[in-house]
Amino acid sequence: MSSEASEHQDGGRRARGVTRAASRRAVAAGERLLPFVAVAAAWELVARLALLPPQFFPSLRTVGQTLWRLLVSGVLLTHMQGTLVRLGCGFLLAAVVGVLIGMIMGRSIVAEEILAPLISLGSPIPGLAYAPLFVLWFGFGNLPAVLLVAVAATFPVAVNTWTGAKTVKEIWIRAARVMGAAEPQVFRQIILPGALPHVLLGLRLGLARAWRVLVAVEVLTAVPRGLGWLIFGAREFLQADVMLAGIAMIGLVGFLLDRVVLAYLERLTVVRWGMLG
Amino acid sequence: MNGRAHPNPGRRLALGASGVLLLAGAWETVARSGAFAPVLTPTIPEIIAALGRLAANGSLLGHVVATLGRVMSGLVLAAAIAVPLGLLMGRWRPAERFCLPLMSVLMPIPSLAWVPVLILWFGLGNTTTVLLVFYAAALPLAYNTWTGARSVSPLWLRAARLMGADTRSLFWKVTLPGALPYVIAGLRQAFARAWIAVVGGEMLAASAWGLGWVIFDAKEFLATDVMMGALAVIGLIGLAVERLVFAALEARTVVRWGMLRSGSG
Repeated sequence: MSSEASEHQDGGRRARGVTRAASRRAVAAGERLLPFVAVAAAWELVARLALLPPQFFPSLRTVGQTLWRLLVSGVLLTHMQGTLVRLGCGFLLAAVVGVLIGMIMGRSIVAEEILAPLISLGSPIPGLAYAPLFVLWFGFGNLPAVLLVAVAATFPVAVNTWTGAKTVKEIWIRAARVMGAAEPQVFRQIILPGALPHVLLGLRLGLARAWRVLVAVEVLTAVPRGLGWLIFGAREFLQADVMLAGIAMIGLVGFLLDRVVLAYLERLTVVRWGMLG
Repeated sequence: MNGRAHPNPGRRLALGASGVLLLAGAWETVARSGAFAPVLTPTIPEIIAALGRLAANGSLLGHVVATLGRVMSGLVLAAAIAVPLGLLMGRWRPAERFCLPLMSVLMPIPSLAWVPVLILWFGLGNTTTVLLVFYAAALPLAYNTWTGARSVSPLWLRAARLMGADTRSLFWKVTLPGALPYVIAGLRQAFARAWIAVVGGEMLAASAWGLGWVIFDAKEFLATDVMMGALAVIGLIGLAVERLVFAALEARTVVRWGMLRSGSG
């Protein structure tokens, strides 16, 4: 009897707890949406006041419709594919070259001293600044675009790999040698994993930088298709809705690249080995 | 590869110079070999001569001033808005809850993606370029300042309050200096991004002056010597700002206060 009563009480408490949790969750969701609702309202207000012509400052409805239209017709996906392939090729090139340079610099003092001034002179030049020169050398199209992305991304990869290779504990290397590890084995099993957290950070920064310049690179090298090309092409026709839809897509891809691709890579390696929380 | 012994500075200088000379020599060989059209591969004396020409007629100074002016206006504007915002977000939860989601949405959108929209709204020229620099600089600055304001140890705040500090001196003497290493790191990052944005902005929203515009314009005349000269100037200014301005800023503040060791990074 008393146990039954307590059960009832428990159930009641649990039910109340559930509703309270639900309402708390609703409030939290509302709070999370609030900033977006506020910005959207401000945007709509400016659009409705018609301070600028509607082609210049479209309402969110128009932008949404355009985004849907471009998505359904496949235009957006075609452009996105072009951009992603270009990004992938350029980034891959940068990853290979950057890790190679960084590893050599980190493990050989002579190489470090020869290359360090070149790195510090080269890295403050935005990769984008080479665009007109590369167009003269390689013509318009995909080749200069990929190379420019690679140039922009190589520096952060190289610098961070260099730091990583230098910070591998000397005692690990000596211990491995004493235990009879051959040089290739020392490199594969000690230096590479030891440097990996820094290498991954470098790859992450390199990818972010590649992504930031790619939009402009696509315009300057006049590639046949790409998200950058889409938004700049829309300028000719004063289509701000197409631009904003394109920008939304660019933001989404950028977000996914960082959160999904690199976070996955990190979980797969350094987190699994317990080198990073 | 005998450990990490510190080599002597003379050897270091010689090796460093040899790296630069090696690259210059390789370029010179390619340029003089005749394998490529000479107009596309200017020799180093030609590049220096082109720079000298630009410097002599005063246009180089004009371009440098235009570019630096845009970067500085954008950075000052960004600092004036993003640093207070970051501090506010770090010390006041509602501000954090409102701004952080918006910042995370804007973060993955590159500044240069806004160029066509900005051109549509503000036309070609300085307004567009400065706003571009502002956007590129403001986000990392606000983000770092926010992190810095949160990293201020609550122990310091309580200790200062116990010792009778009022809200104002708490802010100026504890919160702000405590957040400063992050603010300076944010400024460094902001400058690096602003430097990319200004070159891209000058190329895409052309305005007749600026180092980015020089490179873009030189393409029309196949003036690769001018292009490479301007590239060198862009690199040197970027290096100088990084090494002189930010190093001095750090030495005067956070290093002197013992919050950061000098020579790190």
